[in-house]
Amino acid sequence: MTQDLNALTEAEFRIVVRKFLADNYPENLRNPPKRLHWRDNQVWYHTLARTGWLCPGWPVEHGGMGLSAARQIALTEEFERHGVARTNDHGIVMVGPLLIQYGTQAQRDFFLPKILAGEHIWCQGYSEPGAGSDLAGLRTSAVSDGDHWVVNGQKIWTTLANDANWIFLLVRTDPAAKKQEGISFLLVPMDTPGITVRPIINLELHDEFCEVFFDNVRVPKANTVGEVNKGWTVAKNLLGFERIFLGSPKLSAHALGRLRALADRMGAWDDAAFTDRYTALRLELEDLKSLHATFVDIVRRGEALGPDVSMLKVIQTELFQKITDAMMDIAGENAGLLEPMEGNRELHPSGLFIQARPSTIYGGSNEIQRNILSKNVLGLPG
Amino acid sequence: MSAAASDDANESVRLIRDSAAAIAPPGGDTRRIRALRFQDPGFDRGVWGTMCEMGWPGLLVAEADGGSALGMREYCALAEQLGAGLAPEPLIPASMAARLLSGADLAALLAGRHLVLPAWQERPNSLDTVGDTVIAGGKVTGRKCFVPMAAGADAFVVSGQGGLALVARGAPGLSIALEQTQDGGNFGTLSFADTPCTMLAGDMVAALEPAALATAAYLLGVMDRAFALTLDYLKTRHQFGRPIGSFQALQHRAADLKIQVALTRAGVESAAAAIDAGATGALALAAVSRAKARAADAAMLVTRQAIQLHGGIGYTDEADPGLYLRKAMVLSNLYGSAALHRARYAANAADQDD
Ligand SMILES: Cc1cc2nc3c(=O)[nH]c(=O)nc-3n(C[C@H](O)[C@H](O)[C@H](O)COP(=O)(O)OP(=O)(O)OC[C@H]3O[C@@H](n4cnc5c(N)ncnc54)[C@H](O)[C@@H]3O)c2cc1C
Repeated sequence: MTQDLNALTEAEFRIVVRKFLADNYPENLRNPPKRLHWRDNQVWYHTLARTGWLCPGWPVEHGGMGLSAARQIALTEEFERHGVARTNDHGIVMVGPLLIQYGTQAQRDFFLPKILAGEHIWCQGYSEPGAGSDLAGLRTSAVSDGDHWVVNGQKIWTTLANDANWIFLLVRTDPAAKKQEGISFLLVPMDTPGITVRPIINLELHDEFCEVFFDNVRVPKANTVGEVNKGWTVAKNLLGFERIFLGSPKLSAHALGRLRALADRMGAWDDAAFTDRYTALRLELEDLKSLHATFVDIVRRGEALGPDVSMLKVIQTELFQKITDAMMDIAGENAGLLEPMEGNRELHPSGLFIQARPSTIYGGSNEIQRNILSKNVLGLPG
Repeated sequence: MSAAASDDANESVRLIRDSAAAIAPPGGDTRRIRALRFQDPGFDRGVWGTMCEMGWPGLLVAEADGGSALGMREYCALAEQLGAGLAPEPLIPASMAARLLSGADLAALLAGRHLVLPAWQERPNSLDTVGDTVIAGGKVTGRKCFVPMAAGADAFVVSGQGGLALVARGAPGLSIALEQTQDGGNFGTLSFADTPCTMLAGDMVAALEPAALATAAYLLGVMDRAFALTLDYLKTRHQFGRPIGSFQALQHRAADLKIQVALTRAGVESAAAAIDAGATGALALAAVSRAKARAADAAMLVTRQAIQLHGGIGYTDEADPGLYLRKAMVLSNLYGSAALHRARYAANAADQDD
């Protein structure tokens, strides 16, 4: 980056972002109806990588843009307005920040450049069939064998594992220890012998998540992040990043734009009840943006996120759902269509409604977030 | 209703439920439903034939016209059962058409030889059956949309300015555009340009009422079954070393959903009983609207929560909760959305001071 973007005024910054998108974003990738696979979004990933725009939140010394919280939010809004598709971003959003904080120098030197170059595409192997909300109940095991771990077990709901060439894993390294205390955090290449990926079709009728099976998979011990048996602490810190990401107003802002377009098309603005409902949703989005900005600032100051970040995830995901519920209510019979209305990708109430469903399930379900809020923030007994 | 008449009705409702269960086994296997999804015509013509042999499309039709002259209670019981089994066969629209046909046309529909579906709607969120379509001089010109399962129809009953008409599927000037629906069925958009037709005498507006109420009943079956699946899951899925149904947050959620199912059942059954007892006019409109408004909202709520409470597996296509959600997405706004029926209720219900 030749320009110091943080030095611009917000208005100037937005003009730069808009010009960047107009010059660089592939027209055919605007507003894709479903999440794109790597084969379709890699062009854009590589463009971001080449131009230095891939990692807005990473510090400059690690190859990021080092943008302030306010700038990151403005950037997200402009990307949103342009209909920019999500990339395979686990490396950018999770692995990078994690290694910057907890990785060894060798791990940073090896992995960060590969993420920045689009060579390593990551997926997240936490959940198992028997360990979802109760993540610490995981059973995938790693047994020591010289300078390797031998991993056996199964992960499930692994988003875009079918695109990834690396997976970050939680595994049990001490079966005798208390639940949280025998877990380690490993980085594993997906082409290691013994790994099998089976895609699962989701409610969008899309192969977006997968099962991943491990059969005597050998992983170098150097690929452990943090101390052995302390993986739970590492993972918990990553959950903070995940929650702030999932609490980003992006999805709700996108959905509200779609609700507006649909309301125009359906002539819903004449209905006072709808206008009031819309305005309530809009205000909630503005409040969410303000709250989100305060959490992003905590991260930028390098301070630890508290359990109260769970609020963001709850508000964002439920707002997203409320907006899509409103879409279904005004769409009339169109609410039942499989494809977008009139072939217009921006008018697809049923598609967005289905896309909004899992947001209250993944990243720690909203029930679990409320448990965290009531116990760890409010200090209620139990 | 006298005690004896009410016993008769209870007995015929039981018989209807039993015979429906043979075709749409409650809690049964969804393999049949899955195999028919996103295929043409979206339902099984063989099963439709069986439904006709059972006399279902003629349930409300007078005996003299070849029907069984049963009431709304029986019809709603049947629709509920089919909803619980997610049966895609177009019983509700075909029964609506049966009320608009007579003579040989009606006989062919009831016998399952000729599937006739109503085409009345021109814009979303509306119960207007006339619109801009013109029927005159033996020709229809206009456009009708959201015709459920149009892919399988042999003919359409069309309403418009100038009355009601029957149009054969292959009639000149008729073009049909099909769109797939979330549940694996389809909606047809029909464009008529000087399309030859034969005039009919029926009343499309009146025929909408049983269809709207039966749709509420079908949605009751959908939500009841989705709730049952979810309740089972709460008892069997373990996390943190306990069944997830032991967590109080989920216990309260389940109790709230049960309340919605119970309210829907009460609304549907009371509307059916009122109509069977002779309610007409504003009273009948208000009863149907109350049932449909509740059923639409409750079906969406219960099926959404079925996904949520199943966690990750709920978001897969291979698990059944999604089938119920998709059915609710298609049916909730059909024959009037919750908001439309609330407005219609407000316009037709008796004054609260009375
Ligand atoms: C679209 C999608 C993408 C995902 N991507 C990934 C991924 O990339 N990597 C990965 O590792 N995982 C991923 N997940 C998995 C996700 O993290 C889990 O689905 C989630 O943690 C819930 O676990 P579960 O599915 O086993 O549901 P369960 O834990 O069985 O929960 C079922 C229901 O019970 C509730 N519940 C459970 N415990 C409690 C409690 N104590 N109190 C109150 N309610 C409770 C839950 O909230 C939920 O409603 C993804 C999931 C989805 C849907």
